[in-house]
Amino acid sequence: MNTTATDVMQKKRRLTPGWTQNFTLIFKSIAKKKGGLIGSIFIAIMLLCAIAAPWLAPFDPNEQNIVQRFAGPGLPHLLGTDYLGRDTLSRIIYGCRIAVLVAFGAVSISSIFGVFLGVVAGYNEGKKFDYFIIWLFDIVRSFPQIILALAIVAVLGPSLVNVVIALAFTAFPFYGRIARAQTLFVKETDYVKAAQAMGQKPIKIIIKHITPNILAPVIVCLGMDMATMVIWESGLSFLGLGVRPPTASWGIMLRNGYKYIQVSPWTIVWPSLAIAFSMIAFSLFSDGLRVALDPKERNR
Amino acid sequence: MLKYSFKRVLWVFPTLIGVLLLLFSLTYFLPGDPATAILGPRATPELIEELNSRLHLDRSMPVRLGYYLKGIVQGDLGTSVWSGHSVSSLMAEALGHTAILAVTTLAVAAVIGIILGAFGAIRQDTPISGVVTIISLMGVALPDFVAALLLMLVFCVKIPIFPAIGAGEGFWDIIMHLILPATALGIGWVGYLARLTHESMVDVLEADYIRTARAFAIPQKSIAYVYALKNAIIPTITVLGLGVGKLLGGAVFVEIIFSRPGLGKLIVDAVYARDFPVLQGGILIATVLFVLANLVADISYGFVNPQIQYD
Amino acid sequence: MKENEPLLDEPLLEVSKLTLDYNLGKRKMRALNRVSFQINKGEILGVAGESGCGKSTLGLAIIKLLPKIASIRRGEILFEGQDLLKLSEDQMNKKIRGQKISMIFQNPQDALNPVFTIEKQMVDILKTQRLYKNKRIRSARFFRDQAIDRLKATGIADPAQRLSNYPFEFSGGMKQRVMIGMALSSGTSLLLADEATTALDVTIEAQINKLIADLAKEYKTSVLYVSHNLGVLAELADRIMIMYAGRVFEMGTTKDVFGSPSHPYSAALLESMPSRQDRGKRLLSIPGFVPPLDNLPPGCSFHPRCKFVEAICKKEVPPMEEVTPGHFSACFLDIKRGRKRLQWI
Repeated sequence: MNTTATDVMQKKRRLTPGWTQNFTLIFKSIAKKKGGLIGSIFIAIMLLCAIAAPWLAPFDPNEQNIVQRFAGPGLPHLLGTDYLGRDTLSRIIYGCRIAVLVAFGAVSISSIFGVFLGVVAGYNEGKKFDYFIIWLFDIVRSFPQIILALAIVAVLGPSLVNVVIALAFTAFPFYGRIARAQTLFVKETDYVKAAQAMGQKPIKIIIKHITPNILAPVIVCLGMDMATMVIWESGLSFLGLGVRPPTASWGIMLRNGYKYIQVSPWTIVWPSLAIAFSMIAFSLFSDGLRVALDPKERNR
Repeated sequence: MLKYSFKRVLWVFPTLIGVLLLLFSLTYFLPGDPATAILGPRATPELIEELNSRLHLDRSMPVRLGYYLKGIVQGDLGTSVWSGHSVSSLMAEALGHTAILAVTTLAVAAVIGIILGAFGAIRQDTPISGVVTIISLMGVALPDFVAALLLMLVFCVKIPIFPAIGAGEGFWDIIMHLILPATALGIGWVGYLARLTHESMVDVLEADYIRTARAFAIPQKSIAYVYALKNAIIPTITVLGLGVGKLLGGAVFVEIIFSRPGLGKLIVDAVYARDFPVLQGGILIATVLFVLANLVADISYGFVNPQIQYD
Repeated sequence: MKENEPLLDEPLLEVSKLTLDYNLGKRKMRALNRVSFQINKGEILGVAGESGCGKSTLGLAIIKLLPKIASIRRGEILFEGQDLLKLSEDQMNKKIRGQKISMIFQNPQDALNPVFTIEKQMVDILKTQRLYKNKRIRSARFFRDQAIDRLKATGIADPAQRLSNYPFEFSGGMKQRVMIGMALSSGTSLLLADEATTALDVTIEAQINKLIADLAKEYKTSVLYVSHNLGVLAELADRIMIMYAGRVFEMGTTKDVFGSPSHPYSAALLESMPSRQDRGKRLLSIPGFVPPLDNLPPGCSFHPRCKFVEAICKKEVPPMEEVTPGHFSACFLDIKRGRKRLQWI
């Protein structure tokens, strides 16, 4: 070999796709396509609702008005009221908070945890530790995800934090497997070999050279997973096993709507629409993300 | 191929052992006194003591684990804390309802999805690919329990065509009771499978080997539905195994909403009642089903794709 | 050796003024521009040129497997006196494709269907071939035996065993042998080989080329052999056609074109080829690039890269002229210069 390790390292630094530095570039590439743009706008609206809920909501989401129960859409309650006379629009806006909080919380915990285990396992391919991690991943993946989450919440007791923990726990092996598979590939590349030859510590190699280069497929997964987490938070809350009432969550709104399905269809329709809206947002956005991060697709 | 199947089957055992350990530890690490948690704060000391000895809760961890595993090996999943029925008999009753729902849904969704996806890709002059887009968008936008609620609202409350609760008795009644839950569960799958098949079919139809087949005058139909389709459904088959898991999960909501006495409803009712033996047993059955479905999917994948390598 | 053999001057394929566009949105790329040539019975015609010059399009146009974005503007492709462009898809399948005209492709790795055995793929093809239409016994057994014979003819060891294998169990060279087995039979009059050996190792490449030449001779099959490898063509082809940016630049016997190239482009191509005598010397390359097909320079499309360029080259397209009997060239320089041998350097 004529090239020295340092040569290769420097070359690598120049050649790395460098998504970390190129967030704006990726975002531009997402927004270039119609779907990606709509998805981004929808997500921006959701984030805005989540952050600015107190200013955007026309009413206090928990303010009861028994006289105005089951009001249809109109004034002053634009989307009507629920069985306690609470303003549906305000509760939908506040529900956004829970959805966003759970989605981001669960996804970030599970991805960080999963990627860490996956990378370390992949780096130690074939060793006992690797088999142990694969075993761990396969155990958790054996459960139907939502049923496992249900069991965990049942044990820990229903609360916002426990929902996040349960959902994160069911999802981490999926990130782990992606990260492990990518690591097996990346660790055979010249720049990792070079770093090893230079005697760098494994932990440094894992953090500096491997992790940044395996993240693209993980990030693509994040987008879609957030949608799943929103669904499951709503689902658990719908079963009464998620966020505690009277907190405004779309799932709890559906639960109440289901109870009074004969009386007021609107109480089901609005949270359903909110969920549908967020699903489309995440789906379009993650499609855009996938295309933006996949060089093969980008040039189509 | 045989070696691959064999290895794949063998790997199930350590995984299932892990599943049992996880299930056991879920109840073992239950915060607080489990008997009080089950019976509630107002239980008498006698009742608690009785329950403790019945569930071996007063023994040390390894002993309890031993009892648990011994029971599983003997096919004994325990007894319901509340009804006193054996968990196995409760499962047997519930499983039929869930199985018929899940199998019907997946089979119908797979057939419709693959046909729509493949046909849309082969005949791009027809509006089918537009239909595929709309269905898959609907499937994405409406998670199963939301779809179930909306279907119930429209077809049971506003226009009462279909029965709202139960599983039905007799052939037609059962079918009528299946339609809405199956639609709610299946719409996402039809869209997803159709889109997946469509995308992979479009790719496959541009492959070199399809050009070869055309250059040798293989009939157009045979190229599309044999040469291309077998390649195109490979990714579709891989997700069907996962589909069983998602369907079992979705069944939880749909069974609650339509009050179908299936596995999902059993599990959720057990959670409400803090009936841990039933909860454990229900989750175990659902998990074993899921593991088996994945096994079947993986092995049949090996048959469709001869080039499989497994390590 | 080749030039001593009598060539049957009976034309099998006559392509005249074939003009073809690729429509990419607003851009229109002329991949073939008034391409005219003929292939005689039993003859191997080599087509050479840099990538992007329309060589591959030519083969696909003859067997009518062009991508949807391609449209033929004018011209005709007479095969055994019949214009292929006028045949319907159905007629092409019944009479031409895989029957009288077969094609083997550039990348053997992807040319065979990965999820079916070789037997299934070969038998399916054999079943469509007219060669066996009149046979009484069209049993599964019969086709299997035929497939074994075909594989044996291509030099695959243990063909009966190999039939039940999947493509991924074959090496690239073996796959190309299987393709040749599918493509060549006594019924084939024309074989289109599109860079058939480019993806293979040099030693395998030589073997496969020899196989093609031998079988073509045995079955009296004509071959249109497209390659960018002039060395291969020099050994294989009876006549050579040099293409550039969708046009034919020079055509003649292999001896004429390679021995005394008449077009500056041909000369340049030849001199950019490594040879034994030049060992140790710096390899020459043609400066510049093949122009994009949707943005060709006016006049002779080679003029920006040609060192003999003159004023007229930038304005007018040089016509095809017969330099010596049977040797054609499209260059203004050539017409003025007469028959002097061209030296690119």
